[in-house]
Amino acid sequence: MAKVRTMADARREQRRAYWTLVLPGFLLYISVMAFPTIFSVVLSLTNYNGGKLFGGRVPIELVGLKWYQRLIVDEYFYLALKNNLWIVMVSVFGQIPLGFFLAYVLYRGLVKGRDFFQTMIYLPTVISTVVIGILWKSFFAPHGAFPELMRFFMPGYEYSLSQHPMIPVLFVILWMYSGMYMIIFIANLQKIDNTIIEAARIDGASEMQVLRYVILPALSGVIVVTAILAISGSLKSFDLIFIMTAGGPANRTSVLSIYMFDKAFKGAPNYPLANAISTVMVIISFFLIGLTKFAENKFGGRE
Amino acid sequence: MNDIKDHSSARSRISTTITYLVMIFFTVMALYPLFWLILSSFKTTTEFQMNKLGFPRRWVTINYKDAWVRGKFPVLIANSLFYTTVTTLAILLLSFMAGFGFSKIRHKATAVLHGSFVIGILLTLQSIMVPLFLIVNWVGLYNTRLGVLIPYIGIGMPMGVYLGTEYIRSIPDALVESARIDGASYSHIFWRIIVPMAAPVGMTVAILTVTGTWNEFMLINILTSSDALKSLPVGVQKFAGALSTDYGKQFAALTIGLIPMLLFYLIFRKEITKGVAAGAVKG
Repeated sequence: MAKVRTMADARREQRRAYWTLVLPGFLLYISVMAFPTIFSVVLSLTNYNGGKLFGGRVPIELVGLKWYQRLIVDEYFYLALKNNLWIVMVSVFGQIPLGFFLAYVLYRGLVKGRDFFQTMIYLPTVISTVVIGILWKSFFAPHGAFPELMRFFMPGYEYSLSQHPMIPVLFVILWMYSGMYMIIFIANLQKIDNTIIEAARIDGASEMQVLRYVILPALSGVIVVTAILAISGSLKSFDLIFIMTAGGPANRTSVLSIYMFDKAFKGAPNYPLANAISTVMVIISFFLIGLTKFAENKFGGRE
Repeated sequence: MNDIKDHSSARSRISTTITYLVMIFFTVMALYPLFWLILSSFKTTTEFQMNKLGFPRRWVTINYKDAWVRGKFPVLIANSLFYTTVTTLAILLLSFMAGFGFSKIRHKATAVLHGSFVIGILLTLQSIMVPLFLIVNWVGLYNTRLGVLIPYIGIGMPMGVYLGTEYIRSIPDALVESARIDGASYSHIFWRIIVPMAAPVGMTVAILTVTGTWNEFMLINILTSSDALKSLPVGVQKFAGALSTDYGKQFAALTIGLIPMLLFYLIFRKEITKGVAAGAVKG
């Protein structure tokens, strides 16, 4: 290996090594994620409806914002959007506080057996959504175990979930993913310097004061991150609803992703409209992420 | 952490008891549905209809035998193992390579290329579902194994590259430079220095990829149509979803679908929770 190398040789080799290392992964990523995202925006501005992209029977034309105009007057679009918002609400007011509470109890050692509780409460998150979805669908069915369980506690119970089809869906979302927020909070609570908490306790601060003046301020950045997760999680919710209700009855449990799926794969496909929906989803998620980042800068957060 | 023992007043004993009860309540809530599922899978459908909540009066295993054969579970499990293994290994290799290039070789393209991977973390799978389906069709990969693997690998890249680059950056440059001066090639440095040292983050990326790929349902459901290519979640959905009233077999199929991930979780629970925390706080 005692070959003499000139600087130029070394630099050329370096450049070749760089591209050999970086390019395979980059091309794969671009062709699978970045290109389809841009392509989706383009398709949403055309009248493409299946078949060959070039030289098909009907030539593809640009139609401008036609599909977007149609979307903003579509009542089902708002129905789906509203359900997305319900999911965000359940995350922000259900999962995040619950996850924080569980994390706090475990982190402060208020109960023993932390490992056991953590393992069991997180368990639902790792199981396939398909299994979870069908399981709960059977559980909540009119002749399933839920009405029976309710009658066990309240003898006069009448099955009324058909009137509120979103309730089981929201409940399962709360059930399945609260553990994830718990794990995120535990991981970040562990980053807090324990001596500060001990010092505050020795100085006579109560458990509540420690929480209010030491722990919550230190976690404000993480709380913002979990809010972002909740929003993007709502836009990602597809599998569970697809399995549990497929958006039914009469689109009443539809969310944006289900609505898009229906437009593309159910009945006569309307690809441009489906792509318009997905573009709206991308815009919403980027907008909300920007908003949360802004809030983070404005209201502080020690991350 | 010992402060609970120090306060032995009645009040703190009551609040400790309440805390325990609340924690036990949430644990039972988390586990009960899964218990109910497993119990129900040992009942015949006739028994289930009369006894929905209790223990089986007679434990039967016929549901499992039926579901295992009729649901074609051996093929589904083999397919899931194949997709998960290939995807995980490919993501580990490609994202470590890219991470090595980004963090240890100075190049002006890094800012743009690495930046575009980071944006990819924010893109949701749902927003590319329809265009990806169309593209996979046009290039003739619809209903092929490759047509499933390529999207799986590409989708996992942003997270792998992000975590990999962060970690490899913390490996001292001096190690790479002195190996270069000794005349080691980049591929030698990659395999002998980078890969062994990045093993911990490799574990995190592998855990995230395995759980994500094993449970993935939406894409493979639209990208394949033949039974021979289906993964476990799609197979369970097709089989158990169709058996809306044959509860015994349905629950047995769901339990079979539940077990692999349950085992994986119980074995790797420490690594999984660590990986989730690392993967989530990326924003």
